[in-house]
Amino acid sequence: MLRLDADRTVEFCDGFRRRDFLHMGALTALGLGMPDMMGLQAKGAVDPSKKDMNCIFLMLVGGPSQLDTWDMKPNAPAEIRGPYKPIKTNVPGIEISEIFPRMAKHADKFALIRSVYHTAAAVHDTGHQMMQTGRLFQGGVEHPHFGSVLGKLKGPNGDVPPHVLLPKPIGATGGNMPHGQTAGYLGKTFDPFVLNADPSDPNFRVPDMLPPDYLSALRVDRRRDWRNMVDKTVSKFETSQDARLLDSTFHQAYTLMSSQKAREAFELHREPEKVREKYGLNRFGQSCLLARRMVEAGVRFVTINMFETVFDEITWDIHGSRPFSPISCYRDLVGPMFDMGYASLLEDLHDRGLLSTTMVVGSGEFGRTPKVNPAGGRDHWPNCWTMHMAGGPVKGGQVIGASDEIGGQPKDRPVTPMEVAATVYHGLGIDLATELPGAQGRPIPIVDRGTEPIKELFRS
Amino acid sequence: MCRCLHLIFAAAFATHAAPRGEILPKSVTLATPESRQQLLLTVYENQVQRDLTRLAQWTSSHPAIAEVDPAGIVKPRSDGQAVITGRANGVEATVTVQVKGAKAPFAWSFRNHVTPVMTKTGCNQGACHGALAGKNGFKLSLRGYDPDLDHDVLTRQSLGRRVSLADPASSLILQKPSFGIPHVGGKRFDRNSLEYRVIHEWITAGAPPPSIQDPEVTALEVYPAQAILAPGAEQQLVVRAKYSDGRVEDVTRWVKFTSADEGVATVNDTSGLVKMTGHGESAITLWYNSKVLYSRVTVPYPHQVADASYPRRNYIDDHILAKLKSLNLAPSKPATDSDYIRRSYLDTAGVLPSAEEVENFLNDASPVKREKLVDALLEREEYVDYWAYKWSDLLLVSSKKLRAPAMWDFYNWIRDSVKANKGWDQFAREIFTGTGSSREKGALNYFVLHKDPIELTETTTQAFLGQRLTCARCHNHPLEKWTQKQYYQMASIFARIGQKQGNDPADTVVFAKTSGEVLHPRLLRPLPPTPLDGIVIPLDAPGDRRVPFAQWLTDPKNPYFARAIVNRIWGNFMGRGLCDPVDDIRATNPASNEELLQALTRDFVGSGYNVKKLIRTILLSGVYQLSSEANATNQNDNKYYSKYIVKRLTAETLLDSMSQVAGVSTAFPGMPAGTRAMQLPDVRIQSQFLDVFGRPPRIICDAGERSMDPSIAQALHVINGETLNRKLSNPEGYPSLVLKLGLSDAKILDHLMLSAFSRYPAPQEKADLLAMLDKARVRNGTPQAQLDSRRQAIEDLFWAMLTSKEFMFNH
Repeated sequence: MLRLDADRTVEFCDGFRRRDFLHMGALTALGLGMPDMMGLQAKGAVDPSKKDMNCIFLMLVGGPSQLDTWDMKPNAPAEIRGPYKPIKTNVPGIEISEIFPRMAKHADKFALIRSVYHTAAAVHDTGHQMMQTGRLFQGGVEHPHFGSVLGKLKGPNGDVPPHVLLPKPIGATGGNMPHGQTAGYLGKTFDPFVLNADPSDPNFRVPDMLPPDYLSALRVDRRRDWRNMVDKTVSKFETSQDARLLDSTFHQAYTLMSSQKAREAFELHREPEKVREKYGLNRFGQSCLLARRMVEAGVRFVTINMFETVFDEITWDIHGSRPFSPISCYRDLVGPMFDMGYASLLEDLHDRGLLSTTMVVGSGEFGRTPKVNPAGGRDHWPNCWTMHMAGGPVKGGQVIGASDEIGGQPKDRPVTPMEVAATVYHGLGIDLATELPGAQGRPIPIVDRGTEPIKELFRS
Repeated sequence: MCRCLHLIFAAAFATHAAPRGEILPKSVTLATPESRQQLLLTVYENQVQRDLTRLAQWTSSHPAIAEVDPAGIVKPRSDGQAVITGRANGVEATVTVQVKGAKAPFAWSFRNHVTPVMTKTGCNQGACHGALAGKNGFKLSLRGYDPDLDHDVLTRQSLGRRVSLADPASSLILQKPSFGIPHVGGKRFDRNSLEYRVIHEWITAGAPPPSIQDPEVTALEVYPAQAILAPGAEQQLVVRAKYSDGRVEDVTRWVKFTSADEGVATVNDTSGLVKMTGHGESAITLWYNSKVLYSRVTVPYPHQVADASYPRRNYIDDHILAKLKSLNLAPSKPATDSDYIRRSYLDTAGVLPSAEEVENFLNDASPVKREKLVDALLEREEYVDYWAYKWSDLLLVSSKKLRAPAMWDFYNWIRDSVKANKGWDQFAREIFTGTGSSREKGALNYFVLHKDPIELTETTTQAFLGQRLTCARCHNHPLEKWTQKQYYQMASIFARIGQKQGNDPADTVVFAKTSGEVLHPRLLRPLPPTPLDGIVIPLDAPGDRRVPFAQWLTDPKNPYFARAIVNRIWGNFMGRGLCDPVDDIRATNPASNEELLQALTRDFVGSGYNVKKLIRTILLSGVYQLSSEANATNQNDNKYYSKYIVKRLTAETLLDSMSQVAGVSTAFPGMPAGTRAMQLPDVRIQSQFLDVFGRPPRIICDAGERSMDPSIAQALHVINGETLNRKLSNPEGYPSLVLKLGLSDAKILDHLMLSAFSRYPAPQEKADLLAMLDKARVRNGTPQAQLDSRRQAIEDLFWAMLTSKEFMFNH
C-alpha cells in the first residue's frame, strides 16, 4: 500500500505535499496515521499512560418516557404518573419502574441522571444529533459522533474498526435531518462500521464478510495486488476525497477479512444458546450481546440503535395512536426487551472484568410530556428526561439531578447534551480542550470551551 | 458580467490612482425621531475592498440636524440636511443625510419594534418561550410570527404582571430579561439598553396592540450586497427594512445573521460583523420578520493565475470563467476524447460506451465529432431509461404505496414523457390538471401516492420548486421566508381532490370536488388557496383549484419552477448543483454562480422548457469538457467547476456497467432476463448490490435519499459478494468468451481497457500488466490445469479493473 511512486510532489493547502499524503494515506487506512497519533499525544489529547476506556452507547430511539421508566412520580395525579408502579432496586432509596425488574438488581452499577434537557426543536432528529455529538447541527456543519471522535483520536485497536454501529443507522424519524451517527466534518473515513444486518436473524452473518467457496485465498490476494497495479497508473483521483475513501474502505475490508479474531467477533453462533436467550432473542438483545463481543475483540466504541425508526414499529415513541406506539408497549414489549438486554450486558461485562474499562451509556433523544395525552400516550418533551451511565470510571448506585414534582423540568442540576458529551469524553480519557480539524482546517473544540463534565458521576 | 467583476476591473485599472472611498448606504433619510443609520466607510484597493468603518473619524456638517457617533451611527436631531464625512487611512467619503419628522410624535409599534426586540434577544426562540409548550407557563409564538397572539399573552394573561400599565418598570417582561428578578433564561438586555427603552416606552404609551394598519416589511436590503475581501478581513453588514408605507429603516440590530459556510466566514449574530476565516465564497444570510436576504462575501484564493482560460464553447463558459477569474482559480486542462465519451455516456444515459464505440470515436477526425456524439446519445433508448429513472426517484415511484399495475402506469407515463421530450411545464401540467382514470392517465397516480393536502404540499414544493416547506406546517419557517399562512394557503390548493375506486383495484378516478378544506391549525379556518408568493384564488371560486395553480407553476415568470429543474439537471452532469444540495434552492442558500443559474434558467424557459436542449447545451459547454485532474490552483475547489468533479457511479449505473463489461446481465426477480438496473420501475425489486451502493428508498422527496458514500460494506460486497463474482465466473461471460476466441493477453487487455475505461492502455501500463499476467501463467501441469489457471487469471484481471477507481468513478 505504501506508494512511493508518486510522479511529482504538489503542495496542498494544508501544507502536506502529495507524496506525504499518499504515504500517510497508507498508514491511515484504518483511521489514523502516525502523525495524527503522535501529534495528539504530544498535545496531550490522549494520555498514553492511561488504560484505554471503551464505550457502549445505547441510543434508545423514540425517546423513553422519564415518568414510566427511571423517574417515577407515584404521588402525582393519575394523568401524570401513568400506569406503572415503582419498584425498589438493590440500592436503598433508588426506585425505578416495575417494567425493569432485572435492571433493578444492578442499581449499584449504574447512575441515573434525572435532569437532562435540551432546548432545540422537539423532533427526534435534533435530539439524536445532540445526544451523540453534543451539538445541534447548524451552518451546514455536521459534527462527529462520540465514537468517531474516539476513533480519530485513538485509531483502531487491532484489526477491528474502532467504531461499530449496530444493527443499522437510524432511518427516517420525521425531521428529515442528519441523526449524528456519522463522522461529520472528520470525513467518512471515521464513519462507524455499520453492521447492516439483524443479529437476531437465525441466518445472521455479516454480509459478505468472507469470500465464496470458489474463490481461493490465493486469488483474493492476487486480485488485491492486481487492483493496486491497475489503480496506480492514474493520478487524477488524488484530490478527490471520495476516491481516497474508496481505497480506505477496501483496505479496511481486507483487514477485517484477514483477521481471525475480527471474524470470530461477529460470529454470534459461538455463544451458548443460554447466553443468547438471556439477552433476549430480539434485535436489541442480540445487538447487546454482539456489542460485548465487539469490545472483547478491541472495538473502542459500539453504538446500538434500539430501533431503526419510530414509524410503524413498536418503540419508546408512545404518542398513543398509530403509526406510533401505545403506552402499554412498555410493559408488553419495549420494557422487557431493554431490561433483558441491558441487565445481561452489565452482568456479562462485570463477570468478564470488562465493566471497569467499558462505559455503558443509555439515553433517548428526549423525554415525554408529563401529562398523558387524550390518546392515552405521551408526546415529545425535551425539557427533562433521565439517562443512565455505568461502567468505566462511573460510580454506580447514585442519582444525579432531579426533576420537579411532575417530571416536567429539571429541579436540581440541569444537564445539557453538551455536558453529556463532556462527560462521555472525560470518561473515555479525552482532554476536553482537544480541537479537531473542521472544514478548511478550522479547529473545532470537541465541546464548547468551559463545558464541564458531570464530575460527581465519577469515582474520585 | 457580474457587478463584482466591474469592481475588480475598476480597481485594477485604477491601481495608480488614490484609493477610492465610499460610504454606504448612498442615500439616507431619517424619518422618525428614533430612526438611526449605521454608515459604512469602504475603500477599494488592489481588487479587494476594505471596511474602514471602525477606524474612521466621523463628522457631521450640521450636528444640530444629524449627529454621528464614533461608530458611524447617525441619529436625527432636527429636520434638515446634513453631510456626514468619514475619514480613515487617507481615504475620505461623504453622504448626505435627510432628516424629516425629527420632532414628530412617535410611538413604538408592537409589530415592528417590540416583537423584533423579543425575537433578537431570544425571548421567543425555540429553546425558550417560543417552544411549543412555552416555558414556565409563558408561551410566545416562535420568532414572533403571531403578534396578535403574543400581545394577548403579554397583556391579558397572568393578571397584568407581565405588562403593568400602572407601573411599567415592574412589568415582568422588563424585570426578568434585565435580571431585575431571577430569570432562568439569564440576562437578555441591560436596563440602559435600547431594548429596555423600546419595551418600557411601549408599555408607558399604554401597550398598544398590533393593528392591521401597521406598516408591513416588504423587503430587506443589505450593505454591502457582495464584497471581495482580504484574508482575515472584517466587514460590518448593514440591513435596512423597507415598509409598506415607503419608509426605510436600519434594522441591523434586530437581524438574525448566519454564515452558510463557516469555513469561509463567520458572523457575529449580535453585531452583524463578518470575519473571513478562509478562502472562497460564503453567503451571510439575514432573517428579519420572516423576510430573508443574503450578502455574498468572498476571499479570492491566494494563487497567481497567469492564464485562467479554456476554450469557450457557449454562454455557460462566460459565467464560469468570470467566476474563476474572480477567485484566482485556473481551470484544469481540456478533457481527452476518452474522458469525454465515457463521462458523457455515463452522465447522459447511465451506460458505458462499448469498446467499438470508443474506437470509432477516437478514430473519428471530424472537428464536430463531440456534437455528433451528443446528438446520437440523446436519441438512445438508454437516455430514456436514465431520465425516466431519475424522474421516478423524484416522484417516488414505488410499489410501497401503489399497487403493481398503478406503479407501472405511473412509471410508463414518466418514461413516455421522457421519450417524447415533453416540455417540463407540460410534464407538470399533466400531473396537476389531470382528472379521470389513473389507469388511462398514469400521471394521476401522483395523487394516489400522496393522498392528503399536507403531503401534496410538501412533496410538490420540494419536487417542482426546490423549496422545503415542512417547518412552516407548525409555525413560520424559522430561517426562511415561508410563513405558516403561506403553507396553509398552499395546502388549500389540494383540499378538493376527490378519489374513488375505478374499474379495477389499481384504478383510481381522480376528480375535483366542490367542497373540502384544510384548516389553518391556529386560525381554525381555511385560507384562500394561494401558490407561494402567487395570486390569491378566492375560496368560493368555482372549478378545480389545481388549474390556476398549474398556470402559476408553469408561468415563465415563476421564480422557482424552471430554476429548480435546471439546477437538478446541472447537478446531474457537473457533480454538484449550482445551489447545493440540488433540491434546496431557498433564498438563504445562494447559488455558487448566480449569474450562470439565471442564464441557464432564462435559456431553458425560452426554449419551451426543453430538457433535452438544456442537456445538450451543458454537454457541449467548455466547462463540461474540462479534465478532472487538478492543477496547482484548484485542488481544493469543488464548488466553482474549475475541474470536472469526480463522482462515484450511482448504484444502478455501476451495476449495469459491471454487467456490460462482464457480458452477463443481472437477474432481477419478476423482471425479464436482460433488464438493466436502470430500467427497473420500482426500487422495491430486490437487489443487495443496489441497496449496499445506496439506491434511494423513494419514501420522501429528498435528493439526499440516494447515498453516494463509499463504505466497507460496498468493498466487502465486490470482494466477497455474489453479484460481481458470479458474473466473472459465468461460462457465458466475456472472460470465457475471450478465451474461447483464443485472444492473446495483449488483445484481451486492449479490449478490456476500451470497454471499462474507454481508452487504450498506455505503453508502460500495458507492459506492466502483461508482465503481471505472464508471471501468473502456469507452464506445467495438464492442459486443463493450464487452461483453468489462465481462465482464473483473466477473471482476476477483470475483477481488478472493475473494482478500480478508474472504473468505479466517473471522471
